[in-house]
Amino acid sequence: MIPHAPILAILLPLFAAFLTPVVGILARRRDIKHARELFATGTMIAVLVIVASMMSEVWGGKILVYQLGGWPPPWGINLTVDALAIQMAFMIAGLGTLVMIYSAAYMRRDTGLSYFYTLALLLMAGMMGTVLTGDMFNFYVFLEIMCIASYALVAFRRDSNSIEASIKYLFISALGTSFILLSVAMLYGVVGSLNIADLGAKLAIIREAAEPVPMILVAALALFVVGVMIKVAMVPFHIWLADAFTAAPTAISALLAGPAAVVGIYWVARLPYLPFGLPVGIILVSLGLLSMIVGVLMALTQRDFKRMLAYHVISQKGYMVLGIGLGTLGSVLGAQGGLFHLLNHSTYKCMLFMCAGAVLFRTGSQKFDELGGLGKNMPVTALAFLVGALAISGIPPLNGFASKYTIYLGGIEAGLPIVTAIAVLVSALTFASFFKAFSSVFLGQRPERFRDIREGPKLMLFPMLAMAAICIVIGLLPALGFDIVGPAQAAAENSAGYISQVIGGI
Amino acid sequence: MDLNYVIAMLLVALGLYCLLLKRNLIKMVIGLAVMTDGIHLFLISLGYRAGGVAAIVSGEWFSDLPGFATRAVDPVPQALVLTSIVINICIIAFALSLAVQVYRHYGTLNPSKIRRLKG
Repeated sequence: MIPHAPILAILLPLFAAFLTPVVGILARRRDIKHARELFATGTMIAVLVIVASMMSEVWGGKILVYQLGGWPPPWGINLTVDALAIQMAFMIAGLGTLVMIYSAAYMRRDTGLSYFYTLALLLMAGMMGTVLTGDMFNFYVFLEIMCIASYALVAFRRDSNSIEASIKYLFISALGTSFILLSVAMLYGVVGSLNIADLGAKLAIIREAAEPVPMILVAALALFVVGVMIKVAMVPFHIWLADAFTAAPTAISALLAGPAAVVGIYWVARLPYLPFGLPVGIILVSLGLLSMIVGVLMALTQRDFKRMLAYHVISQKGYMVLGIGLGTLGSVLGAQGGLFHLLNHSTYKCMLFMCAGAVLFRTGSQKFDELGGLGKNMPVTALAFLVGALAISGIPPLNGFASKYTIYLGGIEAGLPIVTAIAVLVSALTFASFFKAFSSVFLGQRPERFRDIREGPKLMLFPMLAMAAICIVIGLLPALGFDIVGPAQAAAENSAGYISQVIGGI
Repeated sequence: MDLNYVIAMLLVALGLYCLLLKRNLIKMVIGLAVMTDGIHLFLISLGYRAGGVAAIVSGEWFSDLPGFATRAVDPVPQALVLTSIVINICIIAFALSLAVQVYRHYGTLNPSKIRRLKG
């Protein structure tokens, strides 16, 4: 492990974010090309190396506890890196790096790129913070850093659509984060502590002593669940997602669909165990099922490339929440499948958005009615899209099949075969929707004005092909994925180990 | 009894009502501000203690630490509220600047008329 690795993973993008405008000014004076792009990508690669350096120790069964300022928990703020957090941090850093490379090509026609990279790196710092922190209020602060950066990124081009999407996103999401703040305040009022491990230990004592569970804890849990579900965009709270993903620059849609989805699911995975420890499994299963069905039905009717992908994000996140919910109902496979699906979905959904972005970049259109026959002009993009489309539909031998199959087994293991049946049905509808998308964009009649369309720039193709390769490799060797999600799932369930390693480490 | 908790929850409820039911973006921003201020009032009330002293050990308190512990206010909520106020200023400033942009593009602040994104 690199010394101080947990805090460096947060501080590096944070400081780099505010250095980016300086780099931009210096590069303009010295006439250096692409300095900001290289700087942002370099920062993300450094973060990836830092996160990777923590992996072997964490997977060895250790929980890294980093005390900020040397104050021991529960008094000081501490960063806690267990196997669940490391999975999330690794995905954020890895996918973030690929999206940065992609945006170097995708955003090159835009102005104000210094601010774009500042906001993107801030988003990264916020996401890293939310998954690595071991303190509830610290979590809220990083969540807000992430949210504010993402509102600004959605509105980056300041046209009427993105402004509308951004203000909708802002109001709904600010409501969610306020609920989380209120919930944290209630917990502080009940327990007098903000450290997640300490909260978990003390709430367990309160739960033992009082029967039924005190009203205030139920209220705090309800507020927290609503806040997290707004971030994850489960169905009653999903309206911001489709607009934001459609109107944002596609690089940002990819960033929000891949890495930013991780943060919400991370808290869904933590929720049943720490800090509340109350049974939320049935809520998760029903919300997951509802989102799967509504998401895929909404996606089937869309005529807009990115909007269709956005509704599939809702539907696929439903699978993850369902899987994690099944995990709390006694199915280890379900929880592993949920986390595995997060890994796979973030990869291929990021790639699918990048394909849509490449088409939009070359043709200037994201409407199915205007596109067609682009497979001849953009064969590599078409190939990457095909891999992603088959993966999301759960066709073997791609990675989507491995994780969906695990969730199906989880449904049967938890004694709810009806859940498995619905999941298979939604998967078939997903396939139908992607078949339509593929045929109306890449096959069929090519409009005359698209005759001279060329393949996307190489910098766009590289991240797309890298992700397609990941999809195929994990599909062929699912054991690789289970090596990551197995420890993560065990760590999420192991509240006692978490508490003893954090508090006992005084 | 604890009037400040009642008022805090009242503020949260009022802000929520304003945020969800008002048909004007500026009023919705005001609702957001009122709601978060209600949460801040709730949070700061948690640390309040009638007749409390600042949580800094100085002077004669050195000789009476148990007495200090019974009278000192909890400093943590104050730190939390300060942090949260700063964050919410950012959000509200950003929301207002977006509202200005919305008015430029759409010529209205009525959220039900700002509907170019559908589906």
